Amino acid sequence: MYGAPGGGPTVYDPMTLPVDDNVNSYTFCVELKGSQWFLQKGKMIAYYGSIDFNGVGHGRLDRLVRTSFHSPLHASDWVVAEGSGKMLLADRAFDVNSYDLDDGNLTIRSGNLLAFQPSLSLKQSIVPGFLTLIGTGKFVAASNGPVVFMEPPLRVDPQALVGWADCPSPCHHYDHGYMTGVMGGLRALTGLGGASGEEHQFEFVGAGTVLLQSTEILMAEQATGAVPHEPGVPGSGAGAGGHGGPGAQSGAPRLPGQLGDLQRRFGL
Amino acid sequence: MLAVDVTGDAVKAKNGSMVAYDGQMAFKKLSGGGEGIRGMVTRRLTGEQMTVMEVRGQGTCWFADRASEINLVQLQGDKLYVESSNLLATDAGLRTGTSFTGLRGATQGNGLFTTTVEGHGQAAITSDGPAVVLRVSPQYPLIVDPGAYIAHQGDVRQSFQSGVTFRTFMGEGGGEAFQIRFEGNGLVYVQPSERNTIAGDV
Repeated sequence: MYGAPGGGPTVYDPMTLPVDDNVNSYTFCVELKGSQWFLQKGKMIAYYGSIDFNGVGHGRLDRLVRTSFHSPLHASDWVVAEGSGKMLLADRAFDVNSYDLDDGNLTIRSGNLLAFQPSLSLKQSIVPGFLTLIGTGKFVAASNGPVVFMEPPLRVDPQALVGWADCPSPCHHYDHGYMTGVMGGLRALTGLGGASGEEHQFEFVGAGTVLLQSTEILMAEQATGAVPHEPGVPGSGAGAGGHGGPGAQSGAPRLPGQLGDLQRRFGL
Repeated sequence: MLAVDVTGDAVKAKNGSMVAYDGQMAFKKLSGGGEGIRGMVTRRLTGEQMTVMEVRGQGTCWFADRASEINLVQLQGDKLYVESSNLLATDAGLRTGTSFTGLRGATQGNGLFTTTVEGHGQAAITSDGPAVVLRVSPQYPLIVDPGAYIAHQGDVRQSFQSGVTFRTFMGEGGGEAFQIRFEGNGLVYVQPSERNTIAGDV
């Protein structure tokens, strides 16, 4: 047998791996007992037991997707893991943590969410690039450095924001000098004459919690296409694509034969 | 960072990985990983080149590589399989060599060959984030993502498992199309991060 000879690293096996908890700050263990978890693609690093990974568009998952996945733009980034065994999740050696929602809501940067239980439902936030989880259940999120929880009212740096819970009013805040006169504008654009880089913040007021990460280095995010091209939808003016109209929201996010996101895959 | 106390004996380490030392140290580059002409030719052919230096002297030497995490592996006559890019330092008494990994290497983006370390002593391997050590036993085989695999030791068979179906080609793949399955008795080291692999995109 290969053990840890006095003081060596901890060796895990299916018995000693924690159940739905962190193995260390960077690795999270999920136990599946015939249950299902939504998982961002490529975040599984290892598993024991028999677990199947299927794309969200898989026909058999139609009912599950209808009840807990309402985010067609992100459909190609998510898979459903089902089976029984223990599975390890990690993301680029970033800190991972699990959070419990109890009949609550939480909005999070889309690249930071790693996995969630199907008892939660995932929706796109009105704020582009963010996802909202509603319901009761557990989810796993990554952050660059440990997460700090803050109470509003507060203003945060856009790069440090991970997400927020129960706050009704995320909005932009610009410092006064940023907007006054031609010189202010030039300064902000060129950095000449001294821009602190902190003239623009996100502001939160009201009851709730704001989650911050302790660096300003963002996780590399994938472009997720565009929201449906409709009047009144923020961000819908930008770019082409977005063929997932309102009609395509439930059930199959993409019809077979449409070749999926091949263009994106090849970087076109 | 790895601190090694050297008392007249020698340590083999990746070239250029010394960050500090005190006492008396001599650094000597070992061409071909210190495996002689045959090893040198093998490494050149297999693409598992590693430039190794031998550190000899009295005192303490500190090694580090790109701020990555360092894991110590104790070897007692068994064999450690590790990618040459993940191997930081070994006791001079350990033998290093190359072995063929087959299709698994190709999916990791690390070539078809891997480095072996055997003997008695300690080896230091690097990983992106602290490695998790997972036990493989006959009743519990382990499946690992090729991008997260860094090393394994012991009597372990590995096989390559593919989940590529027609759905993969339609952009509806499971995201985990290539996996390595480990069976037998031993330990597998995985890092909490994935290298860029061909497999990562399907």
